[in-house]
This record gives sequence, C-alpha cells and structure tokens, in this order.
Amino acid sequence: MRLRPVIFVSVFLLVAIVLQTTLFSQTEPFTPDLVMLVVILLCLTKNRPEGLLGVAFLAGLAVDLLGSSVLGLRAIVFTAVAYLAIRTKDRADIGRIITGLWAGLMTLSGVVLLIIVGTLFGQIVLLGDGVVERLFLVPLTNVLFALVFAPIFVRLIDRDATAFRYV
Amino acid sequence: MVTRQPGDRTLPTLISLLVIGVLLMTFDIRSEGGGVTGVLRSGVQTIVAPLQKGAAFVSNPVVDVVETLANLASLRELNRALQAENAAIRAELVASRDDLALLEFYERFYELEATGSDLGRTPAQVIGQPDAFDAALIIDKGSSSGIVVGQPVIDPSGYVVGSVQRVTPVSATVVPITVGPSGVAVAVGNQTGTVVAQVNTQLMRLTLDNAKGPVFAEDRVVTSSGSVRFPAGYPVGVISADAAPSGDSLTADVVPYAQADTLRLVIVLAWPPDPISAVTPDTTTTTSSTTTTVPGDGSSTSTTAGGDG
Repeated sequence: MRLRPVIFVSVFLLVAIVLQTTLFSQTEPFTPDLVMLVVILLCLTKNRPEGLLGVAFLAGLAVDLLGSSVLGLRAIVFTAVAYLAIRTKDRADIGRIITGLWAGLMTLSGVVLLIIVGTLFGQIVLLGDGVVERLFLVPLTNVLFALVFAPIFVRLIDRDATAFRYV
Repeated sequence: MVTRQPGDRTLPTLISLLVIGVLLMTFDIRSEGGGVTGVLRSGVQTIVAPLQKGAAFVSNPVVDVVETLANLASLRELNRALQAENAAIRAELVASRDDLALLEFYERFYELEATGSDLGRTPAQVIGQPDAFDAALIIDKGSSSGIVVGQPVIDPSGYVVGSVQRVTPVSATVVPITVGPSGVAVAVGNQTGTVVAQVNTQLMRLTLDNAKGPVFAEDRVVTSSGSVRFPAGYPVGVISADAAPSGDSLTADVVPYAQADTLRLVIVLAWPPDPISAVTPDTTTTTSSTTTTVPGDGSSTSTTAGGDG
C-alpha cells in the first residue's frame, strides 16, 4: 500500500472503532458492525490482497484489545471474512443493491464464525441476551450502511471517481 | 464460486495470520489476560479512551433526544404509573420510620456499629460497549481513580451490575453478571446458592444446593456473605416463577434488576475494604491477583478477585 491509502484506511478504522464502541452501542437492536464493514468494503478496493488480509487482522486485533473477549478472536474472524470477500468481490460490482447484499452476506458469515469460534474458546460473554436476533440484525444493518457508503468509500480509497458507478 | 489467480500469496498469508491468531488466543487464555497481552490492551485502551469519551460526550445527548421523542407517549403512561408507585412507597416509608427509630435506639443501647455502608464509591460514566456481541461496558474511570480489577459494580439504584475485568489509567472494562462466566454467591431468604448467566437470555439460573424449601415468584435474590466478589446484601434480581426443591437441590430463573445495556452511570465499589479478607476460602472456582500502582504517591495496592460459583 502507498502512504495515502494507509493514512485513509487507518483514519477510517479508527473512526469506525470509536463510533462502534460509543454511538452504535446505543442504537440497539439495529447495531452495525462498522469495523467489519470497513474491512469488507476495503476488499472492494484495488489494494493488494495480502495487505488487505493484514489490515483485517490488525482491525480485528484492535477490537479485541478494546473488548472483554479473548485476544485474537476477531482478528481470526475478520481475516477469514476478508479472504472470503477478496475471493468473491467480482460478484459484488454489479449494482448498488448487489454490493449491499454481498456486504451483508459477508457480515453474516463473519458473525456466525465469531459465535462458533467464540463458543469453541469458551467466550460466553458473546452469547448474551438476544444473540440469535443479533446474528441477523447486525448483517441487515450492515447491508443498509453498505448500500449508502460502499461506492463513496471505494472511490475515496482508490482515488477513482469512476469506481462503482454501476453503468 | 470463488476465483483464485495462479501464483497469488493470499492463501499462505491467510493461513499464517490464522495460525498467529490461534496462538494469540491460546497465549491470552493461558496468561489470563495478563503479561504482554495485558500491557497491549492497556496501551490501546489508554489511547482510544479519550476519543471514546469525546464521542460519548457528543452522541449521548443526541441519542437521549431521539429516544425521548420515540418514547414520548409511553413515557407519559410510565410517569403516571411511577407517580402511583411513588405514593405507595412513600406510605410504606412513613410506616417504617417507627421501626427505624426503634432500631437506632437498640443500636445505641447495645453500642453496635453498622458495617458495610462505608464502602468507597466511585461513580463512572458508561462510554461504550466493544461491539454488538460483546456486552461488556467501558467506563470512564480507571486506576487513576482508584479502580482495580475485580471490584464490584452496581447501578445508581444499588443493583448488582457486574465486576471490573480490566483497568487502564483512564478507563475500565466491566463484565455484567448476566454474561460473565463466573457465578455469584447469593441468598434467597435464609437459603444460599449461586446464580449464573445463561445463553441467549437475560434470565439467570439460580441453583440452591442444600435447598430447605421452595422459592416463590418475586422473592428477592441478594448477594450473600459467602461471596468473594460482592459485598453481602446487594440486590441481584427476583425469582421469575415458583420453584420447589428436587431432592437437595433447587433451580429457578432469576430476572436481574440491572439492565446493563441501558446503563449510562455505574458505581464501582471499593470492596473488599481489606484485600486480605478476599482470599478467605469460598466456593471459588477461579482467582486472579492484580497489583496496581497509584500514580502520584507511587504507592501500590493489591487485590484478589475470584469467581463465586
């Protein structure tokens, strides 16, 4: 990655982490997973896939460091989601709605993986009240966010005003 | 379904990162959140906490306005119901004043000293939660305010919320009892037992091992004197439905009083006042020790925290 995208990505992730842990912790039941969404949308950009996996790992690690669950859990989940997103991103660049649905599907796979791996490692703190509802509401909220912000985000990171114009 | 270019290094990178992640998880579990990972957590939380405080300062009033507008109609009805309840409670209060006066007379007569009411209290604002699946609370007070790992946390009404899991100089992470892995030693009437969190529900499971009799709906569940994590007598919740003993044991669901996800303000109790008393053998399953250096005077305080059940 060149310096400019690194700065942009770092700022986006920091803003996403701060908003996630403050504002969006109060908007239940419609709580997005902003950090995971930023990681997923980053996979739509033209950055190197290996770099994107590294960014996903570090973003997950940052959320782990701020949370109460075991360190490395979200790092694993975000990395796996980023890999899945990188491998399937060609199918997302069809239309705005498809991009949103694709982001939602990636989020769904991420939260399911989070619950599975978290349960395997005894993280009961993830299985609190309403966990089943959240499994669906978090991806749904991410769909809405992706519908609105995905094209702008990709254009900003790639400095390409023609990206995701869906013509 | 998936596309893969020949010669790309995405898969080896993925496998390497996953291995690092699993190693990190194993290391964190083995070190029980201490060591290098503890230092890392403390560093990141120290950096992010001021930003979270700023964001909470801006977003909390906005969320309050939106919530108030959305709940305006129900708030009026709730207000009427609360006024009626208030009147009933005031009547009970007047009735209990005679008993209180009598109690004070006997305390003076027998030169008794009240205990437990002089605990240090540190009010703290809830500035956030890690994410939708992590119910822990991040509060804006840390070791610089005297908070140490393991201290009990209650809400402004005095109901048990949880305990402090991690501390940085400027913030702390509180794990509510409704999601925490450790149980809480409690008392229902003259019977004692343990309440533990359950999966995908707010209700907690009460287990009385030497049950002497049934418990009834609306019976109060309070922390017991056998708890190493909480001072005795703090309300935890109420029994949700009547339950009878089966043999020597009894299980029942408990509706917790405190709703951790709606809290804006919590109170951290400086308990135990004498850290040595915390190491008294109990129904403990896990214990952890923390040493905190208080900035300014350079003094050190130690505390021991443990799971009750």
